[in-house]
Amino acid sequence: MTPPTPRARPVAPVWLDRALAFAGATAALLSFGLFAWLVWDLARLGLPRISWTFLTGEIEDAGRSGGIGPLLVSTLLILVCCLALVIPLGTGCALWLSEFVRRGSLAARLVTGGVDLLASVPSIVFGLFGMVFFGQTLKMGFSILSGGLTLACMILPILVRTTLSALEALPADLRPASAGLGLTRTTSIVKLLLPAALPGIVVGITLGIGRALSETAALIFTSGYSIRWPSSFWDSGRALSVHIYDLTLNVPQSGAMASSTALVLLALILVVNSAAVALSEHWLRRRHQTS
Amino acid sequence: MNSTGLSRENDAETPSSGGHRTVAASLSVSGLSVHYRDFTAVGGIDLEIPEGEITALVGPSGCGKSSFLHSLNRLTDLIPGCRVAGSIRLSDGTEVTHPKTDVLSLRRRVGIVFQRPNPFPQSIRRNFEIPLKEHGWRKRDIPDRMETVLREVGLWNEISDRLHKSAIALSGGQQQRLCIARALALEPEVILFDEPCSALDPIASGVVEDLIHSLRGRLTVVIVTHNLAQARRIADRAAVFWVRDGIGTIVEHGPAERVFTAPSNPDAASYLSGARG
Repeated sequence: MTPPTPRARPVAPVWLDRALAFAGATAALLSFGLFAWLVWDLARLGLPRISWTFLTGEIEDAGRSGGIGPLLVSTLLILVCCLALVIPLGTGCALWLSEFVRRGSLAARLVTGGVDLLASVPSIVFGLFGMVFFGQTLKMGFSILSGGLTLACMILPILVRTTLSALEALPADLRPASAGLGLTRTTSIVKLLLPAALPGIVVGITLGIGRALSETAALIFTSGYSIRWPSSFWDSGRALSVHIYDLTLNVPQSGAMASSTALVLLALILVVNSAAVALSEHWLRRRHQTS
Repeated sequence: MNSTGLSRENDAETPSSGGHRTVAASLSVSGLSVHYRDFTAVGGIDLEIPEGEITALVGPSGCGKSSFLHSLNRLTDLIPGCRVAGSIRLSDGTEVTHPKTDVLSLRRRVGIVFQRPNPFPQSIRRNFEIPLKEHGWRKRDIPDRMETVLREVGLWNEISDRLHKSAIALSGGQQQRLCIARALALEPEVILFDEPCSALDPIASGVVEDLIHSLRGRLTVVIVTHNLAQARRIADRAAVFWVRDGIGTIVEHGPAERVFTAPSNPDAASYLSGARG
């Protein structure tokens, strides 16, 4: 038997591992604590006022009393406009980048560069752009349509980036597999690549929805301030986030109403996101099993 | 009939025995070379691939066997900068390398199975529905077609109760047999195998090997393999690839028996005897 080789240095100390684990746990706890504190604070101030009449009623006394019914509808309509534009535009752009153009080519670099720059544009700038382009040039005025389309431009980079990385993360042998069976590119994209990338695309959409619903600056100059019930996409309509901003800045003694509205906004984001996830799961399962 | 390939209508009229046709096509390759931009991977290939036989392509790694194999159904088109020159002629006169050839119908007629099993990440059933629908099978004929080929590859009894489950959940060997069945479903005349067993364990590898052997006579099979013993067991004909002056080429070809026992080319001889490569 050979004697064990003497070590030049002692083994790395175990306490370091423990300290690292402890530091990680602390950071995680603080992060969660922040979220819990925020929700608790909002709930404490806002929950008592939340009722069916609050959710469906009209604004009274500049927002000090009454409900947020018209705003809820406006917000949802703005979101519908936004998604109707951004989903086809974002997926189309990502598909083109990943399937139709060579990576690293000038065209691909230009488009990805442009999209990435778009992501770093402050939202107030989108608001000004939307007001001029959609509001004045395309004559949409202060409307839900203007607001929704402006938001679509704003969250486009999120959707392009997540969809692109979802497509690029697909198994590399999927494309030769489909080509080897003589499938057209369209079949390959529609029946194989998009379904496989769907979970990633849905993540992009939910992130985008979160951004869109919480956006204020881009909406002030585009969808406007109106607190009436919207009757079409061409009407002006105040989004929940704009309402919170307005209450906090312009209406004294409305703090509790702002908290209640914020609480509803938070819940709305949660509901819309879970709906998107549930829908995609349902769709995936159906594709998997039948037809 | 045009020179770019059989149409589905003609196929449907072909009388079939036992559920599938027994048409195999021969391939006649002459003066073929494969280039990647300025680099020539394979050159000077002349090879007759007779119908209904198993032709094994052997040789050390990096000598262009796979490039050659992929040029036979134009999968080389997928690689940016790849160019194929020369002639590959199917027995009905279709020129594979001609730019006007209908690549999609060509790939139905000349199927391929890859080294790594690559079922679509969807249900087993969808793995058949997507390609069969694409090539004009009627929806009501698809279940029968699927059952027939799954029986041929010996998978039917193993998986018939979970056709709606994901194909990815199958074992590696089952996945590879599924991929073979999926290629067979399209009633190809030639089927290319690119090292079909090298990602499988020995038992699964044996099953797949027997399966390929069973295709003999019905289909034309071209198989790239690093397993010389396997090539000896299943091949009717063999071609030995070797790198000459930096370019992959065939240095020896003919009936497998002669190529393996009495090769005339010294490089082929030393490779086949295990001395080099």
